[in-house]
Amino acid sequence: MRARTCAAAVAAVVGLTLSATAWAQSAAERAVEAAKQYAGAEISIVWEAGLQSLDPLNFSGPKWEELTGIKVKVIEVPTAEMFTKILQEHRAGTGAYDALNVIPSWMADLAKAGALEELDAYVDKYGYRDELESIAPTYRDNQMKVDGKIYGFPDDGDLFVLYYRKDLFEDPENQAEFKAMHGYDLGPPQTWEQYAHIGQFITDKYAPEIYGAGQFRQPAYGIWMFEERYRVEGGRFFDPETMRAQINGDIGVKAFEGMRSDNAFMPPGVETWGFVEALSSFLAGEIAMTISWPPFGRWAAGYGTEEEALSWVPKSTIADKVGYALPPGGTPQLAAGFSLSVASGSKNKEAAYLFIQWLNSEETSLQRVQLPYALRDPFRESHFTNEEYLSRWADAGEYLATLRAGADTGLLDLSILQIDKYEEALRQSMTRLWAGEDARAILDDVAAQWDALTDRIGVDKQRAAYQDWAGKPNAYPM
Amino acid sequence: MTEPATIAPRDGGMAPGLGTDRHFKYLILLPAVFILLFIGIFPIVHTLVASVQNINMLEEDTSFHGLLHYRYLFQDARLWESIAHTLLITGIALPIELGLGLLMAFLFVEKLPGRPVFVALLVLPTLIAPVVAGATWRLLFDHRYGPINQVLGWIAGEPVPILWVINPAYVYPAIFIAEIWQWTPFMFLLLLAALSNVDRSLTEAAEIDGASPLTVFRRIILPAIWPVMAIALLIRGLDLIRIFDVIWALTQGGPGTMTETLSIYTYNQGFRQFETSYTGAIAFLVIVVLTVVVIWLLRRMEIHR
Repeated sequence: MRARTCAAAVAAVVGLTLSATAWAQSAAERAVEAAKQYAGAEISIVWEAGLQSLDPLNFSGPKWEELTGIKVKVIEVPTAEMFTKILQEHRAGTGAYDALNVIPSWMADLAKAGALEELDAYVDKYGYRDELESIAPTYRDNQMKVDGKIYGFPDDGDLFVLYYRKDLFEDPENQAEFKAMHGYDLGPPQTWEQYAHIGQFITDKYAPEIYGAGQFRQPAYGIWMFEERYRVEGGRFFDPETMRAQINGDIGVKAFEGMRSDNAFMPPGVETWGFVEALSSFLAGEIAMTISWPPFGRWAAGYGTEEEALSWVPKSTIADKVGYALPPGGTPQLAAGFSLSVASGSKNKEAAYLFIQWLNSEETSLQRVQLPYALRDPFRESHFTNEEYLSRWADAGEYLATLRAGADTGLLDLSILQIDKYEEALRQSMTRLWAGEDARAILDDVAAQWDALTDRIGVDKQRAAYQDWAGKPNAYPM
Repeated sequence: MTEPATIAPRDGGMAPGLGTDRHFKYLILLPAVFILLFIGIFPIVHTLVASVQNINMLEEDTSFHGLLHYRYLFQDARLWESIAHTLLITGIALPIELGLGLLMAFLFVEKLPGRPVFVALLVLPTLIAPVVAGATWRLLFDHRYGPINQVLGWIAGEPVPILWVINPAYVYPAIFIAEIWQWTPFMFLLLLAALSNVDRSLTEAAEIDGASPLTVFRRIILPAIWPVMAIALLIRGLDLIRIFDVIWALTQGGPGTMTETLSIYTYNQGFRQFETSYTGAIAFLVIVVLTVVVIWLLRRMEIHR
């Protein structure tokens, strides 16, 4: 009996030791070890075309192959076509895609269409659940699951940040003049009204050399600007009971008219601005404020712009003059983002899963968010406090603190069934707004299109989807 | 056309194996005919079948839904607006392309020095993929860096920040400029070929008899080039009905849906909104309408002879 007890104790100790050794591995190491069985295979991953894809092309893809022997084929797809391509390939059953980058607001549609693989079983099998907990709550709680099941790993801390020219804002003469004019201190605007005051003040004083602000106006980006501003002003997208659209109320009209009137203190032609136009103008010192994604802040500070991949980025003339703040209202739009998923039609699901676990893990993601050219932004608690990142440039601490604050208060992109159809109506409304049409008439049309869509999809189904989304803490400002 | 003469057997009866040969002739044609019919008919049948089902982004309901989507066609104001935009573009661009093409053809029908080089240069736009042409024009029309606004600015003596692809007053002119630039040379080329074949002795005789240039054109040249001109009009007309690339590159149908054509709307419904069945209904409607129109036009133009 005693011998048997001893043997059991020894076995338990050995087992615990082995298990502890195995568990001592990080999630990244576990993924690498498990993936070695697929050495020689090739997996494909859909990635946003352009700078984003330099991550798997130049960094993570070659490194994964070196570690595991698995080749990574990067399929670059423009953002606007990613949803379409993923769904088309799924419908056609080609199995052409193994891993996917998915914009979180699409996740529900893609999961319900059966295009995404449920990941819970893999997460448990490869011990990844704990590391998922260290993703910043806004991303973790809102960009990972559909109906309680994991379909993607939040992998990009996208949000809109206000960048401003500290030298102009801190200039004593400007401060005195501004205070005399408006009765409050010149500083990062807390409201959209203040934003307009400051923008107009700087334009009046410095244009055409420097305009008060300049920001995205192209429809694809403009809709996020509207979604944010509308909610900051107190708007709600739908009546939660009747599911009738509410955006054509006074708040929507105010937000729309405000966006258009802001153009008056922005450079001529701002109506056509996208990412590159806003970036080049800000870096050239032609605008005092802009609102955009986190890479603007890094590049404006000159971080990594000597890299060949960023040779197209204009040389920053304002490297030591950039201030970071949350946009008016303090609740920035999370504006897209990316989650990593596995295609349900993949013939290499396990290998694809292991690749995304490794990509998303603490240690790999920390390296990826510091790649100056790859557009992935901090999304884990450790990214915001990492000493190496904090030392990247003089104001990196202020930058990361702003991103961290935004990650807490950020507003989710609207995500309901067939969201692209609702967004399409909104995209068209943006061009009508810049074309000078009556704001209320435009929004009445959008509301009518939204209502018709809701009726076609089914009010009950859409109500459930909306209430699920609206019930999340980051759907509307607290 | 006459039937090919058949060789009668010397004894007046049927040659042994001739009936088998005739069947064999059809037999060997059958696979080719079947493939052609399959390629041509299958997509139409498939579209028709899809249009009476209910396939969309989230559902693949292949049960029979009758005319559900066809009924919606008549309630869909955006569809009819897109058809109106398409007809507007066709109605304006087609006559301009024809007129300019004809003028250029008259200019180059004479043996001018360097004619082959000029003709080759003029035809270049048609060799460019329409989407590339559209993207190029988008750059040319750029409000800030585009040369068009720069040149207008030099003329005006001050910056001219025209928002060509945003401002409703300029979007259609921008589309017409790009479209006419690219496809007038096509008209020109066909009409030049037709004009080159007009019998000079007839026009010279008419001129000697005192006919005015307009009369010569109406009575001699136009009838002579009409078959080619009609085909050119038909081809370009159908192209314009399907116009997509240039507008997509320039405005994507905006501002709002102001320049959304039938093809752009159909693409949006089919490939961005995944309304597969509804797109099938639109496509089938277009196929039917265009088939009727083309047959009517061919008869009317009498070029089937």
